[in-house]
Amino acid sequence: MPSLGLPIFGQSPASQPAPRWRSLAERDGTAAPEAGLYPDGEQPAPEGFSRRSFLQVLGASTALAGLSACKPPREQVVSYVKRPASVTPSVASSYATAVSRGGYGVGVVVESHEGRPTKMEGNPAHPASLGGAGLHELASILDLYDPNRLAGIRRHGQPVAWGAYLGELAVLAGALARDGGARLRVLAEPTSSPTLAALRARLLARFPRARIDSWGPVSDDAAREGAALAFGRPLDAEYRLVGADVILSLDADFLASEGDHLRHARDFASRRGQPAGMNRLYVAEGSFTVTGGAADHRLRMRASEVLGFGRAVAAALASAHGLTQLAWLGAPLDGPRGKQAAAVAADLARARGRGLVLAGRRQPAAVHALAAALNQALGNAGATVVYREPALLDAASGPDRLEALVRELRAGQVETLIITAWNPVYTAPADLDLGPLLAKVPNVIYLATRHDETAQAAGVVVAAAHPLESWGDLRGRDGTASIVQPLLSPLVECITELDLLAAFVDKGHLGAWRLVREAWKARAGEAGFDRAWSEWLSAGVVAGPAVAQAAPVKVAVDAARVADALKAAPAPRPGLEAIFAPDDKALDGRYADNAWLQELPHPVSKLTWDNAASLSPATATRLGLKTGSQVTLTLRGRSVTAAVLVQPGHADEAVTLPLGYGRAVAGPAGAGVGFNAYALRAAAAPWIDGGLEVKATGKHHDLAQTQEHFSMEGRSIALSFDVAELGKAVHELDEQRGPQESLLPLVDYGKEEYRWGMAIDLSKCIGCGACTLACQAENNIPVVGKEQVLNSREMHWLRVDRYYQGSEADPETISQPLACVHCEQAPCEYVCPVNATVHSDEGLNEMVYNRCVGTRYCSNNCAYKVRRFNYLDYHKAVSPQLKMLQNPDVTVRATGVMEKCSYCVHRIEHARIDARVGGLKIGGDAVVSACQQACPAEAIVFGNLNDQSSKVARLQQGERRYDLLHELGTRPRTAYLARLKNPNPELA
Amino acid sequence: MSSKPATAAIALDPLEPVPVLVGRPDDRALTESLVKPLYAPMTRGWKMLVTALAAGMGFWLLSLATTLVVGIGAWGNNIPVAWAFDITTFVWWIGIGHAGTLISAILLLFQQKWRTSINRFAEAMTLFAVAMAGVYPIIHLGRPWFFWWLMPYPSTTQLWPNFKSALPWDVFAISTYATVSFLFWFMGLIPDLATLRDTAPTRLKRTIYGIFAFGWRGSARHWQHYRIGYLLMAGLGTPLVVSVHTIVSFDFAISQLPGWHTTIFPPYFVAGAIFSGFAMVLTLMIPARKVLGIEHVITMKHLDNMAKVVLATGLMVSYGYAMEHFMAWYGGNKYEAFAFLNRWNGPYAAIWYVQLVCNVLVPQLFWFPSMRRNLVVLFVASILVNVGMWIERFTIIAVSLTRDFIPSSWAMYTPTWVDWGLLFGSMCTFGMLFLLFLRFLPVVPIAEVKELRRELDHHDAHAAGQPAHGEGTP
Repeated sequence: MPSLGLPIFGQSPASQPAPRWRSLAERDGTAAPEAGLYPDGEQPAPEGFSRRSFLQVLGASTALAGLSACKPPREQVVSYVKRPASVTPSVASSYATAVSRGGYGVGVVVESHEGRPTKMEGNPAHPASLGGAGLHELASILDLYDPNRLAGIRRHGQPVAWGAYLGELAVLAGALARDGGARLRVLAEPTSSPTLAALRARLLARFPRARIDSWGPVSDDAAREGAALAFGRPLDAEYRLVGADVILSLDADFLASEGDHLRHARDFASRRGQPAGMNRLYVAEGSFTVTGGAADHRLRMRASEVLGFGRAVAAALASAHGLTQLAWLGAPLDGPRGKQAAAVAADLARARGRGLVLAGRRQPAAVHALAAALNQALGNAGATVVYREPALLDAASGPDRLEALVRELRAGQVETLIITAWNPVYTAPADLDLGPLLAKVPNVIYLATRHDETAQAAGVVVAAAHPLESWGDLRGRDGTASIVQPLLSPLVECITELDLLAAFVDKGHLGAWRLVREAWKARAGEAGFDRAWSEWLSAGVVAGPAVAQAAPVKVAVDAARVADALKAAPAPRPGLEAIFAPDDKALDGRYADNAWLQELPHPVSKLTWDNAASLSPATATRLGLKTGSQVTLTLRGRSVTAAVLVQPGHADEAVTLPLGYGRAVAGPAGAGVGFNAYALRAAAAPWIDGGLEVKATGKHHDLAQTQEHFSMEGRSIALSFDVAELGKAVHELDEQRGPQESLLPLVDYGKEEYRWGMAIDLSKCIGCGACTLACQAENNIPVVGKEQVLNSREMHWLRVDRYYQGSEADPETISQPLACVHCEQAPCEYVCPVNATVHSDEGLNEMVYNRCVGTRYCSNNCAYKVRRFNYLDYHKAVSPQLKMLQNPDVTVRATGVMEKCSYCVHRIEHARIDARVGGLKIGGDAVVSACQQACPAEAIVFGNLNDQSSKVARLQQGERRYDLLHELGTRPRTAYLARLKNPNPELA
Repeated sequence: MSSKPATAAIALDPLEPVPVLVGRPDDRALTESLVKPLYAPMTRGWKMLVTALAAGMGFWLLSLATTLVVGIGAWGNNIPVAWAFDITTFVWWIGIGHAGTLISAILLLFQQKWRTSINRFAEAMTLFAVAMAGVYPIIHLGRPWFFWWLMPYPSTTQLWPNFKSALPWDVFAISTYATVSFLFWFMGLIPDLATLRDTAPTRLKRTIYGIFAFGWRGSARHWQHYRIGYLLMAGLGTPLVVSVHTIVSFDFAISQLPGWHTTIFPPYFVAGAIFSGFAMVLTLMIPARKVLGIEHVITMKHLDNMAKVVLATGLMVSYGYAMEHFMAWYGGNKYEAFAFLNRWNGPYAAIWYVQLVCNVLVPQLFWFPSMRRNLVVLFVASILVNVGMWIERFTIIAVSLTRDFIPSSWAMYTPTWVDWGLLFGSMCTFGMLFLLFLRFLPVVPIAEVKELRRELDHHDAHAAGQPAHGEGTP
């Protein structure tokens, strides 16, 4: 928020207004941190969150100007008499911060219009983003403006003032401290925050008998346990996919749902598409994941069979490739599976030091240990995978820790329980039955953003700040630290986890800003701290010697222990297999209230507004089920009713149960959507379980899929070739590109200064859907709801089509992002009776919203069906608070008007203004469309085709280029690059 | 022409088996029989029919209001199926509206005597059908209050409609057709309005009819001008029979959608329009001539001839279907081939088979004279033809849209109650307008029938070698 006078992203602090200061001592950095505005006990805290008011004073006039845009100012109203130096109306500023994903930081850059954050984008300087953005980064900005957010503090439903509550907490803390906090427990999210680490240390110093447990329903515990088995201590693996020629994923969805997926996608895609130097990906998995869709060989097997497959690979490596140290670990397999393992092993053996084996988080520790052993034996360790000390404060966050807490709760040993973990009542394994236990605890203090299952059970519910309203810090998997900075003063009364925990060490009045600065000052030293701080905030990444990255750890594998673990690995329970999976959209459920994510088509199944138990066509036939059949799922005596989705390519005799839906207490977007898979999840088997019973209820549940036809019907739509066949494919590609005869004189756009175009590389696209969400955020695209999606009225300008090829049981898939392709000979234009869609000189197919009368003929005549019609007033339901989210550069469309992809024309115009100011031409690659910016795989490239040096011009001249529906003569500006696959000839 | 001045129950000429006028009633008897229904009190059945249709009309108005208030989202339309019941019903009504002008204008120019008794009826039906049709292009707009942007007018923005699009052509075609049809119909009414003015029982009716009779006195000069004017109107109307549905077919033919993008559409649409228009005339006429007691004026000869037209145009439509499929195969365009295969085995195949039965098989009955003169068969067949023709338009418009080029965007269409309300409500409103017409205006052109009677007399007299009586104007 400019009003805070924070350093703007991408500008060096020197060029920015000098930091504001209130005293010479502060300017010089000599003021004592705690002797600022409100020394202890000197000033009673006024109503509301007085600790925040320093921000207003800090920002002086600018603060109030910004506040007037985001919330009713608490103290005084000052109009915009003088324009703050950092605010140019209509010119957006960007600020770098970080958001937490599983406790690790992902760097983001947030666009802010006059104090309103409007869009989250990736931070190119942050190693976990590299400029790409994932679904949750993009969508979480919607949560900031959620009208159903909690506000203030409520004790049994009654509001309590923060100031008063702070006093109460001090009394409570004093009482708890008497026995060293023996009856105090904290249940927290896994986090990597150094400030939180310092605070936790202070907390434990004051309450030595207290305990802080981490709980995350989607934890990486198995990975760290596996490292502990292999190396003797828990370590985090950091994969370097750029150097990997052959990749074997043992049930690891490393491109989408697992940690660091943005960087993985970038690195993986960087080796796709060029015939020379393509990597090869084998994925052994049961559920159909994004990574499986990107694989050259997707080895379909039940999740419980992955261990056996991994051992077969080890056995083949030991027997046929001389890696005798793996002989202990291997166990050969017969039949086709054994042949596959042998082929994979041979490929891995050929690529020693250039291969990589990854294990998925839902696989047991033994599989992770096996992967580590394989990488070690193949010489990949240190090359394509390095190991680091975990950046998380409390690495273990699986059910074990929660079980310990539950035992104490049952025994009535806990008097005060602070819950900062997200909604544990909902996410806890069903057999722990956490909800009723909370009633036994006299003080349950729950920090939450929304009213949820846990808030219902907790005595005191404290509204939590959104990351864009918070100060904090986070570290990435590789140790990179970022400062989390707020973009605006909180929209509602709320605090951060830092504030809450600080209250227990009598620092509650300080505020998170001071706590974070204090912690970093302690690390970086006083000298020049303010300047360094500004630089960190500006860049979004903490740099400097004080925070030097820890070097990777040198490891040695204890093969004997791994072998023991493999032998001891429990056999899967017999019967139908249940595979639990974090949902690609709702994650563990914390995004269930996010309407953008609810409406985003699932990357694989294209399902919206639901989760469903997915199973293979063969299993569905055996059980007499179809997509939409309602079933009762029973596992370990617990039952839940769910809808079935028949997923081609799913492993037979297994059912994937996506977590995160079926919320009993949630906002309007999340309540009553889907089924709650947590209700079946046991602490003993949180990921893979056996003995699932499926019984059809005979009822039907409508599943709103945005794509229902997954076959290309033999048409040349999303083209895919094996890399060896590219030479032969050129002929087929030539039919799909090149000049065409025309009776009509064609416009020569080559003479124009700019000829905007796009290239989409299907080799790189993994189908994650980030482009769709980025487009939604950028272009004020409304959410329409399940009913409208069922009626094919979703409004996404950019959709990601997914096609299956081959057998239904084990198909290959291909994803194809498709938005308006901006045809030079556009079929939509000549049929519009009122000239509401016309062509610009630069070749954009433009939509004139205020001229459109809504005949919809343009859509009928669009061969790509990428136009979207406002059948209803989809913006009616947008609350005033949500309107603050809308991008002022893009018109909000009215009922009865057609809309579609504009090639981010507002970004082109911004670039034009910038170029004109500088007296320059717009650079060939200077305009970045929103979809391109978000794409973690860099599959989308936009730019000026008339600039031969631009990336898009080079790509469009490449040998894999083709035009979609080229035979229609529409001359689309968006060209596709055919997908190349790199299959192993031995497995053909 | 029959060679005997008999009541002609027995036909001697096999080509003229049934008379176009039963008996030779004199002018007074003709006038009395034809104006009687206008002055008779309403029967109970009539009142019940009016009430039922008024209720249907209310449903239509409710559906219209819902559309305007809620938006097009009140319908089942979606992406890809952006046109469905709206344009289907529009084209259906426009097609029905073709019979009137064809009967009035073309048959007049061809001097077909059998047109005389039914032209008023068919023209009225045309007007009401066009009125119903005209509603849809406006209300199907996302922002109907801007419908006038489709018309060329000197706007300050200097923005004209896009003349490359077929939709502004539609505006011209339909508004011209509606205007000409109305003028033609009204012009034909003037002598009869004068008759009504002179025979009406109450002063109010006499005044109102008198105003619209435009001072008609039946003088020779009146008749001379009237005849020339009427013939000119017929000349004007004739090209419209072909042009309107040709242009409506351009709405689809100029696109590139498989199933729409076909050069055969103009003749195929015109044939289909006449097919459905004649069927609708039959549907309305069979009960009306019975209820109004004018079976001697609208005779089996008329019904028989219309059935023949239905058969002829039905064969043209069937040829159109065959040719479309042939071109889809012969053209070698895989998208078009798919679009036509999709009609046979796609998700909407069931209605395609209904369409084939109604439009291809049912008209074949009319090869048989016994079928053409069986009122029940005629009535049922005429309804089936219009069911078939509605489905034909739905198949062309909506079914083609459900599955086009890119399979990922394929989707089904399901109508809502508003869609059904607009379809059935428009039928009720049409029926309501028709009842009003039957109640307040002579269904059969009295003057023309009198003229026909004289012509027949004259013809008979010539055939018998005697000068005819009462030559001159009726």
